Amino acid sequence: MKKLTYFPGCSAHGTSEEFDSTLKLVLKTLDVELEDIPDWNCCGATSAHVMTENLAYALPMRNLVLAEKLENTTMGIACASCYQRMKVTKVHMDENPELAQRINTTVVEEGTYKGTVDVKSMLQYFYEDIGVETIRGKVTKSLAGLKVACYYGCLLTRPKNITKFDSPEYPVSMDQICEALGATATEFDYKTECCGASFSISNTEVVLNLSGQILAMAKESGAHAIVVACPLCQSNLDMRQPDIEKQQGVKYDIPVFYITQLMALAFGNPVDQLKFPKHIVPVEGALANIGKIDPVPQKVKKPIKAVEAESEVE
Amino acid sequence: MARVGVFVCFCGANIADYVDVPQVVEEVKRIKEVKFATEYKYMCSDPGQGMIRDAIVQNKLTSIVVAACSPRMHEKTFRKALSDAGMNPYLLEVANIREHSSWVHQKDKKAATEKAMDLCRMAVAKSIANEQLHEISVPVTKRALVIGGGIAGIQAALDIADARIPVVLVERSPSIGGKMAQLDETFPTLDCAQCILTPKMVDVASHPYIELIPYSEVIELQGFVGNYKVRIKKKASYVNFKTCTGCGACWQKCPVKVPNEYNMGIDKRKAIYTPFPQAVPNKPVIDAEHCTMLTKGKCGICAKVCDKGSIDYTMQDEIIEREIGAVVVATGYDMWDPKPYEEYGVGRFKDIITSLEFERMVSANGPTNGVPIRPSDGKVPKNVVFIKCVGSRDEAKGIEYCSKICCMYTTKHTILLHHKVHDSHAYVFYMDIRAAGKGYEEFVKKAQVDTGTTYLRGRVSKIYKKGDKLMVRGEDAQLGQVVEVEADMVVLATAVSAPKDNPDLARLLGISYDKYGYLSEAHPKLRPVETAKAGIFLAGCTQAPKDIPETVSQASACAAKVCGLFAGDTMKKDPMVSTINNEYCSGCQNCVKVCPYGAIVTDDVPIGHGSKELRTVAKINEGVCQGCGSCVAICRSMAINLAGFTDPQIINEIVSI
Repeated sequence: MKKLTYFPGCSAHGTSEEFDSTLKLVLKTLDVELEDIPDWNCCGATSAHVMTENLAYALPMRNLVLAEKLENTTMGIACASCYQRMKVTKVHMDENPELAQRINTTVVEEGTYKGTVDVKSMLQYFYEDIGVETIRGKVTKSLAGLKVACYYGCLLTRPKNITKFDSPEYPVSMDQICEALGATATEFDYKTECCGASFSISNTEVVLNLSGQILAMAKESGAHAIVVACPLCQSNLDMRQPDIEKQQGVKYDIPVFYITQLMALAFGNPVDQLKFPKHIVPVEGALANIGKIDPVPQKVKKPIKAVEAESEVE
Repeated sequence: MARVGVFVCFCGANIADYVDVPQVVEEVKRIKEVKFATEYKYMCSDPGQGMIRDAIVQNKLTSIVVAACSPRMHEKTFRKALSDAGMNPYLLEVANIREHSSWVHQKDKKAATEKAMDLCRMAVAKSIANEQLHEISVPVTKRALVIGGGIAGIQAALDIADARIPVVLVERSPSIGGKMAQLDETFPTLDCAQCILTPKMVDVASHPYIELIPYSEVIELQGFVGNYKVRIKKKASYVNFKTCTGCGACWQKCPVKVPNEYNMGIDKRKAIYTPFPQAVPNKPVIDAEHCTMLTKGKCGICAKVCDKGSIDYTMQDEIIEREIGAVVVATGYDMWDPKPYEEYGVGRFKDIITSLEFERMVSANGPTNGVPIRPSDGKVPKNVVFIKCVGSRDEAKGIEYCSKICCMYTTKHTILLHHKVHDSHAYVFYMDIRAAGKGYEEFVKKAQVDTGTTYLRGRVSKIYKKGDKLMVRGEDAQLGQVVEVEADMVVLATAVSAPKDNPDLARLLGISYDKYGYLSEAHPKLRPVETAKAGIFLAGCTQAPKDIPETVSQASACAAKVCGLFAGDTMKKDPMVSTINNEYCSGCQNCVKVCPYGAIVTDDVPIGHGSKELRTVAKINEGVCQGCGSCVAICRSMAINLAGFTDPQIINEIVSI
């Protein structure tokens, strides 16, 4: 059994709980054991690095130092934003030992930074460490018939010189994994366009506009569903979809899956374990394309209606 | 007793702003051998040189120190001033207080001044030990080598040959003509490129003073200015050019199809081919990589259909040697590969093409009979977006420099599009319109009015597909807005880049190249066609991107330089060469190994005076020696002396500080 150090990040325990739990199902099939970083902390996200460089490096470095205490050489990260902060810190520290030493003084109690643990997004881990062929070999329920638009967002492959993974403009790793599951990846030119990210809260209009264009292009490409590997992308495209539809006067009805949900489905996990009720946009229509599957459980609670954009400034 | 004169230059503000020149003068005056010292704003000017001449005569000076710029810049100038005053020119020493002091120590005037004083003290000390030297005469081989048969090489070859100097023109591909032969019309007059180029190509082939060696490459250059030896590899063409009439039966029947380089791969050529119908020489060659007879021993059709029996599958590469006196390098340029522009979908979208592909399409002898078509479906495009600076001026993805020709050729392309597709509309995304040149700005203005082209100032950030259209999203910086243009076809004005093989060629020739791979001129302003190696000159884009008029000018300048070099039967050469003291030479031949110019050979001399027994010693060929001093450093017996840099001179310099 392989082992992998895991950094769940805050969203895995909240908005992207379905990413986290299906990831664990998938890794069980792939015979990989996750080891959480003991006492992990916030990655700093978008807030820290606009405030101070020191904090933006120190928060991820603490996690890196703690991760080095485990035996595994790779850290897998579910959230694209956590991945970004952790990877940027690692690359900058490894390039500049003096800086590493200086930042290390902030988290000196946890230990000395050595740079021995590699940082990968889960997508990268699947693609590079597991491999498309191994994934293909684990498929018991082919997703043939399902057309998906793979949406990578802005962070999983960028900046190129930091991530050194796939293409910053037209990545294909997720497309290849989806094809291995039996699905068809559509030619989708908006793979790396901005979804509006955290403006979801501060300036919802921006997200409705940007995510709206992504939905339109996905629909145009002929996709039944969008596949993502980033919690914020998922929440913007799924949760804001009803508002976008209202604003544009178009019905998209295009569910937004985490790549792990589709993998878990194709690996033969029961449908009721895939957390589909957490989706805002119903998934049944899209999944009908792969033939008969177990019924998708109904939502326990009524879906939370998207919060109306507030007109704060009078 | 030595009587030294010291002349310290301000170089306008170049030196004076960072070195206290009067203080330097005062300091050198304290050296007892210095009998005269002064300063002047521009020592290299006529009044400055006059000061040197007058001082030599009036003060009976025995050596001169000029403290100014690098000796590479003005050593010759000042040597001449010494000669004019009746003094041996090699009694001059230059103290380089500009490049070595004022320019590099701009933040510390005191230190820069002190360093300038040290440099002057050293030069004074060295000059005291200077000896009278005399120029060496070497014979000249009056034949020039031109490498590359594009418009630059053609022009240089013709101009040199017209002066009745034999020229060897080596071209790598089967035909001369270069990139210009691929062009349709030329800016800013819309002259047909073929009409102005092909007559020159024919002139080359028929010129009694030009030996054209096509399908060949230079593989070795030995010797020195006036006396080079070149080895040329003539690739096997598998066609006997002496008997071939160029009838074309062979390539009509050849069954192997290969992407046609001349048409940027838009159509196919055969494995036996001439690059284009107007090729010079108009004889086919067999592409050994693709010919099935040569790769698998199957076919042989071309030999069967040739009634002259010109096909010879057993032909081998041939080595040709020529003695030459000068070289003109004119290897042209490559088009930059736009692959890094992933956001444009380069490689994914068939209807994104490069400018040279567009040029071939609109060309009268092109693969689409002069009509631009969409590669995806063969339809004639109506809305065409031209994107400038693809690769140029882009530090992140491409190259920092401006490719210089794209603004003009894109303007030309909007006109050609308008001529070929009357109801078309062109959009041009640009950063700046750089139209500096005779008639250029007028050309752009007229084109904008006549074609109604929409010029959008800004960069394109993304191209994506919508149905069968390409959506081009960019910034209109003048409106401060993001704009999207629906295009049938997108043309990328890709950058001009240095030929890939230029670094290899530069090493082979012993000349330098810059970080992009362009060959370096000796001086960016005053010696733009010479290289740092005597007798090797540069023409055209191999030195930097340039358009046809500029290329032709530079090629003619090269020809003038070559003709000047060959004006006499012998050539003067600096006397800074090594000599061997046979008394001390042990014959170890270490100097032979370290000499980078192959200037040292061995000689047998009697062991003692009148003895018949011989021993081996080293011998320097003065004509070849460049005075680098490597042999002096390696010699264990201290048997080698380099004129102008003798041990007493060097020791004097060291002792003086």
